[in-house]
Amino acid sequence: MQGQKYGRDTEIVQHMRPEPMTAREEAAQAGIDDTEFEIFKHKMHMIALEGKETTMKLGASTAMRWGDVAFGIFTGQGDLSVCATGIYHHAVLGQIPIKYLIKHWVNEPSVGCKEGDSYFYNDPFYAGVHNADMGLSIPVFYKGTLLCFVGAAVHTGECGGSEPGGTVTAAKSKYDEGILIPPIKIGENYQLKEDLLNMLAAMNRDPRTMILDIKARLAAARIAERRILEVVEQNGVDFFLGGLRRILTQTGEAAKRKVASLNDGVYRQARFLDTLGEDNGLVKINLTVIKKGDKITLNLEGSSPMLMDRPANSFFQGILGLSMVYFCGWLFHDLPSNNGLLEAIDWVFPEGSIVNATGDVSTSIAPLVQVTFTHGMFQCGARMTYATHPSRAVASWFSGFSIPTFGGLNQYGEPVADITPEINATGCGGRYDMDGVDAAGAFFATMADCSDAEATESDRPFIYTFRNYFDNSYGHGKYRGGAGVGYGVAVHDTNFFMLGSHGGGAKFPTTQGLFGGYGLPALFVRRVQNSNYKELLSKSDRHLPARLTEVFTDQNPEKGDVWHQNISAVVKPAKDGDTFYAYAGGGAGFGDPLEREPESIIRDLRNGMVSAWAARNIYCIAFEALSLRLDKEATELRRKAVREERKRRGKKWADFNKEWEAKRPPSEILTYYGVYPDPGTKAHGTDAAPVAASA
Amino acid sequence: MKIHVTEYLDVDLNSEKWCCNRCGHEIENARENYKKGCLIAEREMNEVHPPMASGQAFSFQPDTDYCRLIEIYCPSCGVMIENEYLPPGHPLTHEIEIDLDALKKKYLESQKR
Repeated sequence: MQGQKYGRDTEIVQHMRPEPMTAREEAAQAGIDDTEFEIFKHKMHMIALEGKETTMKLGASTAMRWGDVAFGIFTGQGDLSVCATGIYHHAVLGQIPIKYLIKHWVNEPSVGCKEGDSYFYNDPFYAGVHNADMGLSIPVFYKGTLLCFVGAAVHTGECGGSEPGGTVTAAKSKYDEGILIPPIKIGENYQLKEDLLNMLAAMNRDPRTMILDIKARLAAARIAERRILEVVEQNGVDFFLGGLRRILTQTGEAAKRKVASLNDGVYRQARFLDTLGEDNGLVKINLTVIKKGDKITLNLEGSSPMLMDRPANSFFQGILGLSMVYFCGWLFHDLPSNNGLLEAIDWVFPEGSIVNATGDVSTSIAPLVQVTFTHGMFQCGARMTYATHPSRAVASWFSGFSIPTFGGLNQYGEPVADITPEINATGCGGRYDMDGVDAAGAFFATMADCSDAEATESDRPFIYTFRNYFDNSYGHGKYRGGAGVGYGVAVHDTNFFMLGSHGGGAKFPTTQGLFGGYGLPALFVRRVQNSNYKELLSKSDRHLPARLTEVFTDQNPEKGDVWHQNISAVVKPAKDGDTFYAYAGGGAGFGDPLEREPESIIRDLRNGMVSAWAARNIYCIAFEALSLRLDKEATELRRKAVREERKRRGKKWADFNKEWEAKRPPSEILTYYGVYPDPGTKAHGTDAAPVAASA
Repeated sequence: MKIHVTEYLDVDLNSEKWCCNRCGHEIENARENYKKGCLIAEREMNEVHPPMASGQAFSFQPDTDYCRLIEIYCPSCGVMIENEYLPPGHPLTHEIEIDLDALKKKYLESQKR
């Protein structure tokens, strides 16, 4: 175990791209018929898809049941060749734990790698994102030859940290985060080791979910193993090995061709995160995308320094992983999701920065840092693709988190700890020719689902007070963002329960618009302790809010100790009947709202998807309040007047900057930012960073 | 020859200018940040993101200590070309720096063919 720091192997995580082709894989290429290869590729994708679906059907955690799942088939060297997932970061992260176990355990006499073995991991240093993402992989042998690995990576929402629900908002170092396991052997001879399962169960607030999820991954992997062996029986070992490699090679070549078709240029988007952990403060994730020829380089120099005692840090591999949410889902949407895509991508990460964590700092809210980066990636990607592939130029989906976290006893007195699934009901960003989809999913897990409210209520101690589209959740624009959902929950039949929230954007919105479209409003959580909600419900009080907008009106009859809190909040005790209100963000707006077709706004008014205030003040249409009849002539005049008002209001560049540059945030919110406005972090071996310069 | 680069920006390859896609106004040298030729305004946050609850530490309105909203307009027709959510005083983003020589080579040569 030489070359490790804090028990982590810093060398293996550099193996992001495919390993060199083996002699056997190379020799096999000549014998692979093109048609047979296409059939083989399809079969492998079907096997992976079956693995993903099986994992979901058998799992117990919220995220596993509702699709936060990746199932992969890896080469014998560990590269991810075939992946079924809607959670694309695993496309370039799943291979690192496999490469780790190949490096450390295959030839280690005390561990080894044999038919029937299985390996488990959740250290985000290898899996890239956070320790709630846990994986299980198995080797597949045929007559003594190691063919490949298969496995599932899934979010299991409880990690035994100092806070429940997989996120430790107040973490000061990695030792607060709970279970952090580098790849270990968890099973032999087709059996899981009960002593190790028992240990994991004992380290976790929700042992039943933890163990069921592990078994779900293994069961899916064993089915895939059977299917793969059927393919090998039919096609032969050399075809199989050469075919897996060819998928990777073709993916890399196709990605380069796609990149070459885009216009060369430099695209920049600094993004700002307002959340350090349980407290607020400003940090910067600075992205420059350089597209030249058939390569795209991601340069993150100029991002804020690493936070030494707060959890808002990410490993560089997690940032690369989240870049794949854009690349796999949008730019390379027609290519396989695997780490061959990285043949078209280069990267530059500054040392000692928030996006390149080292040592034993906490990365417990790394996903928030990563999605802040991804938002920048979407903005740069839209500007990079609009001229040549306009359907790829989309305004961002909701690029933050707003997730209730909880732990305690449920309504049956059983231990539970997890998150609720509304993060899978965020809105899609506006597009160049249409609005974003309402409650489309999570941008990082587009195939995930937010579950039926009743399914969540069945084993979580909640009653949903309402859950539906929220008209103040998205960004306005020529094409508006899809709406997210507003919801309320009342704690039900338990007094041993803790409730908190994970997210960012209470001060600085997580998601800005595109090409003149607006971004999202701020996020927050409303809590009511000692609420009279259940009493009112028992009387069928018709004035109880049926949507989030109504929560904030004077007609809301709910009484209790009300407070609005930061969206990033450590869990606090919650009693039977206490309520909790939040919303999952919508998508960002695309284009100038004054160009939105007035008829679309009237339609949204009729459907409760836009407020009358926004129709009048953002979209600037004129209409009759009761009938919603549009006044076309008045609308045209009003919009013309607003454009003239803009020209009066707007200042020339030099005049604007003279006033603007004199402004500065209060010093107390810049404690972790670094030098303002340019933190100046650099990659090893670089001097000035001209690509990171601003205007 | 004009290339439609973003929703509201064209690049005229012959004059090497950023142009408004809606009104055709020549905004700025295409080798520069197009914003240098635009009109720019800081908006009051509550004009776009009004609070929905009063007397609370958190509402729907972004905190102006952290975030300001800047709008960028075409000086001729007033279309909002872009907007930015930025901390106070943070330099405006030079978000798109097209490789004009590569673009001219790509499109003007294809036109010749």
